[in-house]
Amino acid sequence: MNRLVATYGRTLTALFWALLLVWLIALVLVPTGMMVESSLWRMEQTTAEAQDSLDIDRLYNDISVAELDRSSAIGAKAAQLDAKLAAMKRQVATLEGREIVPVKVYTLRNYLSMSGLHVRVFVRTLFYSALVTLLAAVVCYPVAYIAAFARSARHGALILLALLVPYSINELLRIYAWLMVLDYHGLLNTLLIRAGIVPADDPIRFLEYPGSVFLAMVYAYILFMVFPLYNTLTTLERSQIEAARDLGASAWLIHRRVVIPHAKPGFAVGCVMTFMLSAGSYSVPRIISRGTGGDWFTQLIYRQFYEAHNWNIGAAYAVTLLLACLLFIALVMASFRVSLRDIAR
Amino acid sequence: MQGQSLDLHAVTVRFGDVVAVQPTTLSVAAGEFLSILGPSGCGKTTLLRVVAGFQPPSGGRVVIGDEDVTGRAAATRPTAMIFQSLALFPLMPVWENVAFGLQARGMGRSERRRRAGTLLELVALRDYADRLPGQLSGGQRQRVAIARALAVSPAVLLLDEPLSALDLKLRQHMRAELRALQRRTGVTFVYITHDQNEALAMSDRVAVMNRGAIVQVDSPARIYAAPATPFVATFVGESNVLVGTVAHRDANAVLLDTPVGRLAGRAVNGLVAGDRALAFLRPEGLRLGAAQPGDITIAARLESVELEGPTVSMRLRAGSMALHATAPNLGQHPVPGDDVPLAFHPRDIVVLPDGELAS
Repeated sequence: MNRLVATYGRTLTALFWALLLVWLIALVLVPTGMMVESSLWRMEQTTAEAQDSLDIDRLYNDISVAELDRSSAIGAKAAQLDAKLAAMKRQVATLEGREIVPVKVYTLRNYLSMSGLHVRVFVRTLFYSALVTLLAAVVCYPVAYIAAFARSARHGALILLALLVPYSINELLRIYAWLMVLDYHGLLNTLLIRAGIVPADDPIRFLEYPGSVFLAMVYAYILFMVFPLYNTLTTLERSQIEAARDLGASAWLIHRRVVIPHAKPGFAVGCVMTFMLSAGSYSVPRIISRGTGGDWFTQLIYRQFYEAHNWNIGAAYAVTLLLACLLFIALVMASFRVSLRDIAR
Repeated sequence: MQGQSLDLHAVTVRFGDVVAVQPTTLSVAAGEFLSILGPSGCGKTTLLRVVAGFQPPSGGRVVIGDEDVTGRAAATRPTAMIFQSLALFPLMPVWENVAFGLQARGMGRSERRRRAGTLLELVALRDYADRLPGQLSGGQRQRVAIARALAVSPAVLLLDEPLSALDLKLRQHMRAELRALQRRTGVTFVYITHDQNEALAMSDRVAVMNRGAIVQVDSPARIYAAPATPFVATFVGESNVLVGTVAHRDANAVLLDTPVGRLAGRAVNGLVAGDRALAFLRPEGLRLGAAQPGDITIAARLESVELEGPTVSMRLRAGSMALHATAPNLGQHPVPGDDVPLAFHPRDIVVLPDGELAS
């Protein structure tokens, strides 16, 4: 703090701190806090009370319809409608008289009410996300290694540029591209039909296999593994590899003892990013499976918010996913024996 | 461990149009300590990398013992290299660094540990086996690198300026240690350096390299006293350079007309009367005051005196020539501005045909 003041003066230092504070409040504390808060309460009502509230809502609806009809009715019809309206209004008054406004109760029940099916989806999501992460790590390591130790810096930059090109397109469009490849009459099926491997009237339903979501997800997030790996690998001195080679080590031994241990912080960052993006992905499972394959946990959260209109349960689901991700980060860092400081390097 | 001879036959390295190493032929005897001395960019590291197997030569052959290893990969050559950066593995404890080459040869863990212990004893680091390289001092890291290279029992040890990162005191200490280690193990050492003191102090022979070519291979004493080219004369040690014209030459001596008068020096082949030639005089060969029998004496003005501890360094001017002389520090210093007689003996003069000087 004093060092900052000495280097930048009071005004700039105050500005730095103010920006940091705004960042923390607006981007971290407020959204997470609100989510956690609403996951911890629910509106308490008995079944009968809830039925009353529903009935009141329905009656108001009916009254509006009847009033619309009444405005264009004449004669006996009008009188009949008037009587009906009066009866309905009396009923509303009675119901409203005994209606109990639901009370806000703080409870952990939102977290404990997950159904068996939802738990299965939750576990499945974490499992497939871990698998995506693993596959990304296996595929990205050689690619990052080649890019980092390319014959010249220009070579390496070209490789990275080539990897980056698809990622300059919007994520949704990239996923739709995969949809077009895997669809019933997509590129892959067309080729298979042309080759006579698959009958034209019964194409392979790639999109209904869970593996398709998995593949598209690897494709969507793989770059977040390449870059951290590439970054740590470029800091490995070439002479270390030469020294290992000079001492007679095989390629396998060089990678196992020298290169991979050095790349550990990169693996850790890449795994955390890929896992969080996969576990939190909504668009990939939504677009690729279109409900035909299994659900992703994010889709359950979405439905709690916008279809069941139960924001409290939705918030509890979201916080559960967040906790699972934090646990995953802790596990990754422990198993790679990497500390936060290594990652920040 | 047993050293083997190293022979380079017309080894050439070209990078595109650039010739990094001119066709080079060099023989190093088994158990010899040879230094390759040259300015940075002269191709000495490239030459070493050819021997190690990291740089395929554009032409020529590399023979170790009586085996041609030109086509063999670095991993299978009987050489070990100590890198300028040392290239220790920072995440492995010291003993695993030392034992890495043994692991590569499939040796079991307990046997590796034992052998590493023996080697660490050789470099007096037995108690540091479980430290990480980052926890050691520069000199200790140096010794770990040496132990790691010796672990694979190389026939030829290649050293790429391994002392350049150390401070002066430690460097001098490590020189003696390296030399002693080389004698004890009998391994052939090829030592790359741009530091003439290092090369002269440690080596059996010194190969001076310039512009991709070896210009002289000789004992340190001969390199210093009888340089073969103007480059060697000025790159190794310091020399006063006098430009002159050959006045007369016979079998034993050559007479040279220089700005400080007519000088007689040892004869060299290829010079005839009228040629441009260079006379080299070491600063310690110039004496102030009393002339000895056979000396040549010229008049000079003392311009400045610098005390360097054991020696005194003096800048002088004789006519249009600036000269540099050093003398043992005996406590009495001449005063700048004085006119002094400057004496030197003809046998200390080296006359060479005109050529490139070290910058």
